[in-house]
Amino acid sequence: MNIDQLAATLKRDPGFMENVTAWETIPSREGQMVEFPVSMDARMAEVLKKRGIERLYTHQASAWEAAAAGKDYVVVTPTASGKTLCYNLPVLSAILRDQDSRALYLFPTKALALDQAGSLYELIEAMDVDVKAYTYDGDTQAAARKAVRQAGHIVVTNPDMMHANILPHHTKWVKLFENLKYIVIDEIHMYRGVFGSHLANVLRRLMRLCEFYGSSPRFILCSATIANPAELGETLTGRHIDTIDNNGAPMGKKHFVFYNPPVVNKQLGIRKGALNETRALAQKLLHNDIPTIVFAKSRIQVEVLTQSLKQSGKNSDAVRGYRGGYLPSERRRIQQQLRAGEIKLVVSTNALELGVDIGSLTACVLCGYPGTIASTWQQAGRAGRRNETALTILVASSAPIDQYIVNHPEYFLKQSPEHALLHPDNLYILLSHVKCAAFELPFEDGKQFGNVKDTAQFLEFLTEGGILRHVGDRYHWSAEEFPASEINLRSATTENFVIVDISDAAHHRVIGEMDRFTVPMLLHENAIYLHGGNQYQVEKLDFDACKAYIRSVDVDYYTDADMNVSIGVLDEMKDQTLKSGVRLTLGELKVTTIVKVFKKMKLDTHENLGHGEVRLPESNMHTQGMWWTLPDAISSRYKNDELQNAMMGIANLLAIVAPIYLMCAPRDIKIVYQVKAPHTDKPTIFLYDQYPGGIGLSEKAYEMQEMLLEHALSVVENCGCEDGCPSCVGPMIDAGVRGKNAAKKILGELL
Amino acid sequence: MPGLKDKLRMISAEQKARDDIPKKETAQDCYRTSERYPAGFFADARHMSADILKEIYGFEFPASVQMRDVLFLDTETTGLSRGAGTVAFLAGVGYFTEQHFVIEQYLMRDYDEESFVLREISRLLKAFPVLATFNGKTFDMPVLSNRFLLNRFGDGFGGVHADVLYPARRIWKLRLFSCTLQTLEESILGVTREDDLPGELIPQTYFQYLKNRDFEPVRQIMVHNRQDILSLAQLFFFLCRLHAKPETAAAPEDLYSLARTLNKRGETEKAKKCYRMSARGGLRKPAFHALAQQEKREGNARRAVKLYTAMLSRKEDMAEVCVALAKLYEHQLQNIPQALFYTRQALLILSEPGLAAGEAVQSLKNTLQYRYARLRRKIAGGSE
Repeated sequence: MNIDQLAATLKRDPGFMENVTAWETIPSREGQMVEFPVSMDARMAEVLKKRGIERLYTHQASAWEAAAAGKDYVVVTPTASGKTLCYNLPVLSAILRDQDSRALYLFPTKALALDQAGSLYELIEAMDVDVKAYTYDGDTQAAARKAVRQAGHIVVTNPDMMHANILPHHTKWVKLFENLKYIVIDEIHMYRGVFGSHLANVLRRLMRLCEFYGSSPRFILCSATIANPAELGETLTGRHIDTIDNNGAPMGKKHFVFYNPPVVNKQLGIRKGALNETRALAQKLLHNDIPTIVFAKSRIQVEVLTQSLKQSGKNSDAVRGYRGGYLPSERRRIQQQLRAGEIKLVVSTNALELGVDIGSLTACVLCGYPGTIASTWQQAGRAGRRNETALTILVASSAPIDQYIVNHPEYFLKQSPEHALLHPDNLYILLSHVKCAAFELPFEDGKQFGNVKDTAQFLEFLTEGGILRHVGDRYHWSAEEFPASEINLRSATTENFVIVDISDAAHHRVIGEMDRFTVPMLLHENAIYLHGGNQYQVEKLDFDACKAYIRSVDVDYYTDADMNVSIGVLDEMKDQTLKSGVRLTLGELKVTTIVKVFKKMKLDTHENLGHGEVRLPESNMHTQGMWWTLPDAISSRYKNDELQNAMMGIANLLAIVAPIYLMCAPRDIKIVYQVKAPHTDKPTIFLYDQYPGGIGLSEKAYEMQEMLLEHALSVVENCGCEDGCPSCVGPMIDAGVRGKNAAKKILGELL
Repeated sequence: MPGLKDKLRMISAEQKARDDIPKKETAQDCYRTSERYPAGFFADARHMSADILKEIYGFEFPASVQMRDVLFLDTETTGLSRGAGTVAFLAGVGYFTEQHFVIEQYLMRDYDEESFVLREISRLLKAFPVLATFNGKTFDMPVLSNRFLLNRFGDGFGGVHADVLYPARRIWKLRLFSCTLQTLEESILGVTREDDLPGELIPQTYFQYLKNRDFEPVRQIMVHNRQDILSLAQLFFFLCRLHAKPETAAAPEDLYSLARTLNKRGETEKAKKCYRMSARGGLRKPAFHALAQQEKREGNARRAVKLYTAMLSRKEDMAEVCVALAKLYEHQLQNIPQALFYTRQALLILSEPGLAAGEAVQSLKNTLQYRYARLRRKIAGGSE
């Protein structure tokens, strides 16, 4: 069967269709092309023609024009729409016009940088011109580094390398900084939250150095489809950014199917596992010779699925797994085989979600909701050749967020994708980068760091601490340390815990790190810690030495630490009284947390299997939060325990809904309720950023609070359970009898 | 006759304490000192020549190079990273006049004086064709050129840069393991520093001075820096003497190391002489091996055989030597029966009971057996 026949068969199959909550068909569209711009270098046009590109898609032409007009712009188009030409053409053209021109490419990961550099080399080679493009990352040989610094026209790197290596040693990169024409940042939707806030500051530092060396580069950004690409670009770069989204790439018809595995235990609301259902669907596609990509959530899922599909009969020798942790050469071979069509089915983690070139496949099966709308479209975008129908099946897992999505497909289909949020002025992050910037170049009096109006106050603060020294009209770096080495761009604070795997007594190895605020939740002793899809148990947590020792285990439960949170309001920045009489506030909080116990929860069903004790000191965090304060008019109508259960239920609902709409990971925010909040004496529900200094999530939540409450209400109203389950207000055992009802009622009153 | 140690003590005694505690008012200039030492204390300097320097460093020096062409430089910095924010707050230089060795130091009493320090150093670097430092290639000069760039001073040094660290390591690593300036001073020059400020405390001492303006600790830094420059110059000339007069070497290890350097530079006759002088005690075997290999490379198979046979008669490295002899007889002397004899001897030695039969030994035996079979075929008149 071909894909159209298969889709039709599935649609006629009642056994399949009864699990389908929505089947969306997106019609095909023609490509929109325009002639090559006359200003394009003849060599370039010739090479493109040789590759079968006779004309440009409309968005590529717009990018060319924007670059020619000296604009900063962001290109927003789906996967496989010829996005790279939107930056490669203007950049190469600038270098061909002037051999001294330089460009900097930033990719979020090393693998992506390598892949993109590869296609750039091919283009340059085909043009037979003297343009040197190099990757520069931690793996670059010392001997090669000099050549990159001196002679590289295009330096392809990542933000971490930029931060820790290139900027602090900018004097070795004089040629690059003096002649920098373009800064290309691909996949900017990846730079949200902490990572994005860091990148924005890295770019502030970069632009400061460019000013010193007398260059004024333009930004070319690329993004997957998100709600606010230009806003994100502007926050990252501090510049006005034009949006180019007139996608001219053709697209075949696309089917998007929402599939919820059938219920096997009605009372407990237990469904068939997503993994098995995914395997069955993937096997069907494989047996019908349909090139398929399966996205799994973890490395271990990838291995399990790959293994079982490799024993499934027809075509099973054309099945491959793909994930981080494979050797680069192996990954490249798989990419190549995919492009050549030698592989029929690949099972991957989100490693293949980003722009790694694997050609196009026909079908895509998602084992579980990828977490955001943007990610889901990126993954689904892997299926779909120009003139062919594509099929994507989202198989929901039992996780609350999956159940929400599969039961509210309209949310996914009708809502715009998420906002990418970041907060470059997060105090901790900003302060770290002001230090780095001062190390790189003394600050002159009155000079701002990016658009930070309080720059002077930061500098004075650092001067008081003896880190800077103010002499003449400058602030000089006056400390022995190398500030960049203390900051990890992928977390907010400098004090990170190291995670050491001691499974092999002879070879202890560091497998990761975690910021100290998250450690008590996830790395307390006896916690089950998941890393790369593997389970580990924390054997010892050395709080003073900032080390956690873990050992590989195989258990059927996860742990959930019970955090005792007390909240102090430090400052109120905004507030309003809603028509319901609820007072809504945005402010700064001091959150004191202590973990005393943890629960063991069964995987899949989330049943509580027992408790354990934790002994850890309390920790304090200063962050941003927003909160709803209930007026007496509402609270007085409920009995105390009823109110308590309802608030617990609402907090649980918000914890499900808020990450979806704020486009963040569930652990990025925390919802806490207090029946009698100390500073108001009234029932209050807090939502705060789970990062020191905040990353802009509560600010956004303050603006969209009504939507959050509406969706929370809709979840509880549409949930089929009787007295509460983990997918709405929480299991009855926690939420209490009638807790679900009370939560529903109070939510109704809040709106 | 006073030893080097005494000389250096005398040098130190000649320094007079200065009473003008530098006060910081407006940034018009940096703080400077100048000290003179009798040039005669650098007796080894007479061994310096362009040829000797080339032998030591491996690159060309100006043909007419003289003592007065060399600028010795050492900086003290605010940190150990070579990033843009590390500042050389003190730069010391040494150079020769007609009768003296002059050490000048330039200190910034605050950041606004940095450009004055840089201006002086930039001027001096331009005035000398040869620069000598200790680890200056990887540290002092990169830091200075960062600072030149940031203060828009243009390029640093355009002449020939002799970094003493590299030849010092080549010569003394075998004997001393560590080759820091302090180790070399103590072990080679016989200098002991009294009340020296440890290098790792220098940045924080300087920062402390910026805060409390107590100059005394900075004076200690300056003494430390001056001693560094003196030792640097002594070492620089010490190496010249060692290369010019290898027989003055203090230890066989130094001769052996010197021989290896000479070999690398293509000075094979001199290298062989040094190997021979170093062939004492524990170094005899490696020296003989090296000599034999050298002779072999030069096509003097007979001499190599003699050296190896001498080793065999002392029962040194018998298996290895037999293998080497077998190869010599087969390939260079075309004496197949002798080659066969030594191959068989090697096999016998390796088969002795009690010898640990490791993987390496096994693989060597396999190779030997293969060689043995090949040699047998050759004798039988068959082709390979």
